[in-house]
Amino acid sequence: MTQVKAKERKLTIARAMAEAIAMEMREDEKVFLMGEDIGELGGVFGNTRGLYTEFGSERVKDTPISETAFIGAAVGAASDGMKPVVELMFVDFLGVCFDAIYNMMAKNTYFAGGKVNVPMVLMTSTGGGYSDGGQHSQCLHATFAHLPGMKVVAPSNAYDAKGLMAAAIRDPNPVIFMFHKALQGMGWLGTEKDAIVDVPEEAYEVPLGKAAITREGTDVTIVGITSGVHHGLKAARELEEQGVSVEVVDLRSLVPLDRETVLESVKKTGRLIVVDEDYHSYGMTAEIIASVTEAGVPMKAPPQRVAYPDIPIPFTPVMEQWALPSAEKIIKAFAKMKETEK
Amino acid sequence: MAGFAQDNLSSHDRKGDITMTPTQEQEIWMYQNMVTSRFFEEAIEKIYMEGKTPAFNMAKGPIPGEMHLSNGQEPCAVGVCAHLNKDDIIVSTHRPHHVAIAKGVDLNKMTAEIFGKKNGLSGGRGGHMHIFDANVNFSCSGIIGESVGVAAGAALSRKMQGKPGVAIAYLGEGAANQGAFHEALNLASVWKLPVVFVIEDNAWGISVSKQASTAVKHNSDRAAAYSMPGVHIPDNDPIQIFEKAGEAIERARNGEGPTLIEIETSRLAGHFMGDAEAYRPAGEKEHLVEIDPIPAFKKRLHDRYRWTDEQDEALRAQAREIVDAAIQFARDSAYPAPEEALEKVFV
Amino acid sequence: MSTEVLIPNDLWEEDDEAVITSWLVSDGASVSEGDMVAELMVAKIQYELRAPATGTLSILKEIDDVVAKGDCVATIA
Repeated sequence: MTQVKAKERKLTIARAMAEAIAMEMREDEKVFLMGEDIGELGGVFGNTRGLYTEFGSERVKDTPISETAFIGAAVGAASDGMKPVVELMFVDFLGVCFDAIYNMMAKNTYFAGGKVNVPMVLMTSTGGGYSDGGQHSQCLHATFAHLPGMKVVAPSNAYDAKGLMAAAIRDPNPVIFMFHKALQGMGWLGTEKDAIVDVPEEAYEVPLGKAAITREGTDVTIVGITSGVHHGLKAARELEEQGVSVEVVDLRSLVPLDRETVLESVKKTGRLIVVDEDYHSYGMTAEIIASVTEAGVPMKAPPQRVAYPDIPIPFTPVMEQWALPSAEKIIKAFAKMKETEK
Repeated sequence: MAGFAQDNLSSHDRKGDITMTPTQEQEIWMYQNMVTSRFFEEAIEKIYMEGKTPAFNMAKGPIPGEMHLSNGQEPCAVGVCAHLNKDDIIVSTHRPHHVAIAKGVDLNKMTAEIFGKKNGLSGGRGGHMHIFDANVNFSCSGIIGESVGVAAGAALSRKMQGKPGVAIAYLGEGAANQGAFHEALNLASVWKLPVVFVIEDNAWGISVSKQASTAVKHNSDRAAAYSMPGVHIPDNDPIQIFEKAGEAIERARNGEGPTLIEIETSRLAGHFMGDAEAYRPAGEKEHLVEIDPIPAFKKRLHDRYRWTDEQDEALRAQAREIVDAAIQFARDSAYPAPEEALEKVFV
Repeated sequence: MSTEVLIPNDLWEEDDEAVITSWLVSDGASVSEGDMVAELMVAKIQYELRAPATGTLSILKEIDDVVAKGDCVATIA
């Protein structure tokens, strides 16, 4: 007979995002939405479901295909006291509107000496693995994280998704909220079971800039974000069967970056593998390794990165699946580390 | 048939007034490409769904990823491409198949590309949204609105090199609200480039209607803002498109600069395969099937040229053969080796 | 005495099969009548499955399992 558990309620990341936004919109009239197909359709990735029905077209605004205009408009509205939550449907589309994001949204507070706030959230989908090709599959973590003036968060599960979204909307600074398409729970992009977790009904925040230890261990630290966390967890389970104790760190935020948690972990384990679905060079994996090295944390072996090769994302599954980070690649990286220790 | 005699005046017969009327040969060419295109889309649609039932998982099956079919929009391709040769340039969109076929893209290699095979136009790297065939100067992009700048640039290149050729940019009506559209039209006009912008207005940008998103009733009216002719074609009619596109292309070839053409066409399929299309008003889809341009064209050929059922069957059989051969070529082709993903980043 | 959680015949049109894409409660969790317990996908549309009774849920079908109308996917006791 199955053991009776306390009442729980799981959500997919898509539902968690919609719930967080709804709760903030009920509390604060200033919060409103702009984006493509976020109205009646509920968002192509399910993250605004129910909002149009509850709040109507005044606060849930379907836009034309005019990113420069409506993201620029979000900057203007936010500077004037509103709290826009806007969607850039695919992060890959940043090219058409990036000035509004990195030159204005991210810099206006600084240019104004801190006297103007830009409290907006830009949510955007990332990730591949389902053959959507080079212009619809990227994880441009480093592109946003590198440029000063915007916070960047990316949840790996529904609990963090709701909490980070609430925190992002309440934050007086601009926040980029990146959600990985394959973790949304949309079904047509596959299902990642570990992303569907218990989510409290009440309002709560997950602090921006704080990483989480998703799994404790002592032999090696795996650092990841979004899909990288799940590859890390799968690798951890396999390695455990080989008697290896793995610690998995979910960064949750890229800006601010919780270097402390990473350093503490690597001090404990002495080994570091960083996983990122973004391109290998000049990215998050380099940032983590540089941070650990600069801090002089002693390591038993050279750190390893498991990231996307520096190529446009290919369409055909044979190539795309080969290129993607995976639990298998993490396990190979660990084996390589152990080789150097002999 | 008095109307017929007056209609049938070609551009050569009327001085100082360019009127483009298709010859019988051109009409049959257009019909043939429409039929081939439609058979192709229907075949792809079926194969696309392989492995994707009962649940639609985009990653599964012999054709994974997204798929944007052009059923109903064939006239927009054939009416324009009837005036083009292989040296003319086309930059198309995420919904490219009908245009690619009419432009003369290698259908076997295009199909292999859609299947992600080694023999595909890009060795599997591009897929359905990134069809590139340099032999016929055809390319497309998945980012809304990005075709226009590229087409303007190709036109600029020909002008600078003194080489013949006109560039055509295809875009949807949703793209006319994207900044790149306005910049490219302005630039093409200022530099008097031999480019024609063709808007395929199918009234929907995924779930958002044109009325809900566009400040003008007709995008062709926007041409005035960029000092170029704006042509509105209210019917999904290959003949009207042939005539107006012919005029625009002739203007471009004569160094008279760009034109904006807007065609009210019909998207018979969803925006992308798997699109539940709940946003369409009731009855809209049924009405679209009634105004399918292909049966209408067959009737026109019958009325004007006494096109017989035998001729029609022969044409369809030939189209069927071409499509079947392309599918078979794709199925028979091998997948590339995974490491080939690292190649062709740079040359 | 347990209640079967059946896929309702009117949850979607036509007789296509569905795939379970998520369980929104764990095996052994307590549910109330009307709680959303799972999501199913038919073609590309997601549907919600709700608990027909109050009690403890025992899951019989897993994520990615194919199910049809009338199938029992769990029980509530």
